[in-house]
Amino acid sequence: MMISREELRDSARKGLGSDGLMPPADQSWERLVEMGWFAMAVPEDHGGLGLGPEALAAVHIELGRALVPGPAIAQMLAIDVLCSVPDFAARDELLGAAIGGQRLGLSLALHQAGTLTCVPDADQASQMLVLGPDRIALADIASASQNATWDETRRLFDVEIAGQTVIANGADAHDAYIRALSRLLLALSADAVGGADAVLDMSIEYLKTRRQFDRPLALFQALKHRVADMKIAVVAAEALLWSRTGDAVSLHDLAALKALATTSFCRVAEEAVQLHGGIGLTVEHPCHRFLKRAYLNAALGGDADHWNGFAGRVALGQQKSN
Amino acid sequence: MSNVNDPQAASRSEVRQWLVEHRPADWRDAATHEAFVASQRNWFAKLVDAGYAIPHWPAQWPGGGRSLAEQKVLYEELASADAPRLLLSFVSTYHAFATLHECGNDNQKARYLPRILEGETWCQGFSEPGAGSDLAAVRCRAERKGDVYVINGQKVWSTMAQYADRCLLLARTSTESAKQAGLTYFLMDMKAPGVTVRPIHQIQGDEEFAEIFLDNVEIPVSERVGEEGQGWAVAQATLSSERGLTLMELGYRMRGALSRVADLINTVARHDDEGVLRDFGALTGQVEAVCALADQFLENRMNGLEQIGDASVVKNAYSRALRAYSALGVRLGGMAAQYRTPITYGDLNSGNWMADFMNSYAWTIAGGSEEVQRNIIAERMLGMPREPKNWVLA
Repeated sequence: MMISREELRDSARKGLGSDGLMPPADQSWERLVEMGWFAMAVPEDHGGLGLGPEALAAVHIELGRALVPGPAIAQMLAIDVLCSVPDFAARDELLGAAIGGQRLGLSLALHQAGTLTCVPDADQASQMLVLGPDRIALADIASASQNATWDETRRLFDVEIAGQTVIANGADAHDAYIRALSRLLLALSADAVGGADAVLDMSIEYLKTRRQFDRPLALFQALKHRVADMKIAVVAAEALLWSRTGDAVSLHDLAALKALATTSFCRVAEEAVQLHGGIGLTVEHPCHRFLKRAYLNAALGGDADHWNGFAGRVALGQQKSN
Repeated sequence: MSNVNDPQAASRSEVRQWLVEHRPADWRDAATHEAFVASQRNWFAKLVDAGYAIPHWPAQWPGGGRSLAEQKVLYEELASADAPRLLLSFVSTYHAFATLHECGNDNQKARYLPRILEGETWCQGFSEPGAGSDLAAVRCRAERKGDVYVINGQKVWSTMAQYADRCLLLARTSTESAKQAGLTYFLMDMKAPGVTVRPIHQIQGDEEFAEIFLDNVEIPVSERVGEEGQGWAVAQATLSSERGLTLMELGYRMRGALSRVADLINTVARHDDEGVLRDFGALTGQVEAVCALADQFLENRMNGLEQIGDASVVKNAYSRALRAYSALGVRLGGMAAQYRTPITYGDLNSGNWMADFMNSYAWTIAGGSEEVQRNIIAERMLGMPREPKNWVLA
């Protein structure tokens, strides 16, 4: 199935944009289900649309742009993992339920030891996938306690699991794990690009409207130049994102993207709060929500230090062998 | 880039094969600027013979009439083969061509375009000591006296003017009208009496630019491009002649030259230094983003979707990455980077780190400074209001 990037963006923006910034979580979840987005990346022989990473990126950009709350990233990853592991007894049933909106847990933290952390909306799920480099398991959630984050658009839980069923081992597990990690980095990067673009637009509008010294703030060159740099950062991150949505993209290509995109979102959101002046540090204005989501995106799935180090190490090894 | 779906596969493999056979391997060995210029002349002549020198000219010219997609392939291959950049002939094949093609009369085209292919080189006489970012402030005078214009003034930052045969000259024919309306465009013979050229010694040791002093230089009226007072419009044709391909080529060259940073990291035994690995990783991301941006820019151009300001975004992203690239080299190079070594002409990523670092300023300053690009992005792309024309200093 072929759908263009523009068509996906338009339909995503239409579906989500009408609800304004940070729409109610349940309402947007229903929309995601109705619009069939959880089936988007599912192969056609599993009843999905069989769309690739480009479609995922288009949707996550819009989720970030509208600060859509909820566990969409984890849900899409869980669905993707179910499709990429070898067949097992309950797979089709689980997959169908997840595509239909039944929450399936998954941790968005990079390293797992002991308690599973950063599982979005684990209180609304009865099961979760536990991902490791050589082992993927389906587990029952025994208890979940929320660790409230500054970003109120995500609800992250620490989870104790009960019974576990291993659904992939060895090479199968490894492939599925790397694939899931790659998609996590892509999703967080896309979310960051969408958020950065939105908060930049908001800042430009504010500067055009707000007047001091008998002129709009947008007239001051000191501010124009900062805004131009924000624009360059957003456009560069987006260009890199689209160049990383091909089929032959490896983990280290996404590593550098994740570091660059989430760092850019942090910088742009910081500047946005500063450029909004007093109103920017009040809860009356939504600027702060972008700042908080930006920093959570930067921390989830391995931070910029981790992924830049990874990319640097791989580039060094590659260059050496050339 | 090259995959089974590449519609340019045929032309790509043809160019690649040609480059294997003809790329001069020793182009970095030039010990002097003169030697470098000589090697540039050679290389240009080879490209002309092969039909690769003027892909953007119309099809009536040998090697012309290539689509933007084909041009992209050519520059990608030039970059990945590490062939010399076309520096000496750049103003001739792009700026002079675009000016003559779009605004020149039939006589001017017939006289000058063929000579470009024979190796005649042009320089650009636009900037002046008092007219840099504010180009319309040009003061160099052109006074009509019968069949000639008499030129007096000074031009600066003219790339390789000391080797140029001819000059694209922007001069003032009237001080009465608005700044832009008083400008007129000329084709000037650099060997005419009264023309003095002095190379500018750059901070890293190169002499890529020159000053031009004009003392009662006579230019025949037939060498005027367009009408008197239309110089600003003609200059726009000159300046918009090339956007995107150069930055793509340079981005690809910088990506290829990441191996120099990798080599340096190994040489100074910092390969286990987590901080260094992070900085190198971040640099690769920044360079990859520049390449992706340049690709996207050209793609949009091919589809007629280019927007005002897009070129400014790519230029600033490239020049910042170039600064970061060379600055990392300087930092990691330590004392070794501080010892003077001969420069490599025509290479922005030579691995002579202090020289590369200093050279990177040419990209944040020349061709519209970083600050001017930011103004373009803010005002023309993002719709922020322009400053009032007439400031009064308090």
